[in-house]
Amino acid sequence: MSSDEGGRPSPDEPLDDTDLRLLDGIRELFGAADPMPSDLPERIRFRLALRDLEVEVARLAAEELAGIRGAEQSRTITFDSDSLTIMIRIDENPDGTARVDGWLAPPQRREIEMKTAAESLSVGSDEQGRFAFARVPRGMAQLVVRLAEQGPDGAGRSVVTPALIL
Amino acid sequence: MAADDRGPATGQTGQRAHRVQPDRGERIANLVNEARQGSEEALGQIVTELTPMLWQVARATGLSSGDAEDVIQTVWMSLIAHLDDIHTSAALTGWLVITARREAWRVRAAGRKHLPADTQAFDALPGREPGSEEQVIIDDQRRTLWRAISQLSGRCRELLRIIAFAPRPDYAAVAAELGMPIGSIGPTRGRCLAKLRGLLASTLESDDVVG
Repeated sequence: MSSDEGGRPSPDEPLDDTDLRLLDGIRELFGAADPMPSDLPERIRFRLALRDLEVEVARLAAEELAGIRGAEQSRTITFDSDSLTIMIRIDENPDGTARVDGWLAPPQRREIEMKTAAESLSVGSDEQGRFAFARVPRGMAQLVVRLAEQGPDGAGRSVVTPALIL
Repeated sequence: MAADDRGPATGQTGQRAHRVQPDRGERIANLVNEARQGSEEALGQIVTELTPMLWQVARATGLSSGDAEDVIQTVWMSLIAHLDDIHTSAALTGWLVITARREAWRVRAAGRKHLPADTQAFDALPGREPGSEEQVIIDDQRRTLWRAISQLSGRCRELLRIIAFAPRPDYAAVAAELGMPIGSIGPTRGRCLAKLRGLLASTLESDDVVG
């Protein structure tokens, strides 16, 4: 703030450097006082990318840290939708990536896609509803469960989970 | 595809917004064009650019974090249906602000629990590690600014809080959407910034008297 601003600044003048500096300062203050969750834009992008699918969105039903195996911990997460329960266990591979083992209930063959920031991985579940992703990059991920065989007109409802952090 | 394609390479948009301010409006307008033609990447970049502003819009109404996130998601979903009507950065920013604000007040009115609008951020000055002498001076300036902001009317505080996060060229559009139009030819300072500067000037004067 320079000291030569003597009189009251008028509302009718154009924005000047001082105004712009003040706006920068205000942004910094509110950014610190009430920070946006840093992953919010990424989660919204995930959700937008799915908008064209006819989907059932599963809800997070339970999450727990399971037993310790060796040094690393594994997490178990359960998602529920109207037609399906998806349970996954996340373990750490020695190379730092995640291993994800999953079960569908009721058991059924489905095509399972794991969307991550970097890539999309696909596996199928077996008749017992089991599936596994051996190596998934850490970070934000999301599961899409599709009918393995599409209906006659290509129909078949997919189930998506909310984004989760591996 | 817009001829003047200056968007950053696909992927990261990580630059801090204020450094690219002069081009920001133009870049966003290009992204809007690309998004209208179906580019998911362009749409995603718009989300990354403008969600921080929508966060402030929603939180300024006093919504909880969870409700604010729901509101913001709803706004982006409904933008898809309106993309065809939006051609400039200013139109986009204005539409987003007014839609988010309306939706936020609707959620509030639906009676979910919430804090009084706008006050929660003023409990304390956002903290920082104490540091060098230079840092002490900066902290002093921040404290002075924070105090001046807290003395503004609620409407002015909301306006400045939002436009501080908006692309600079869209300042006037946002002010107009919030019912506080400023200047028809190019953005003028407007009442709220003028008031803030007045408050800061009188703080400086009284500090001088004290020593």
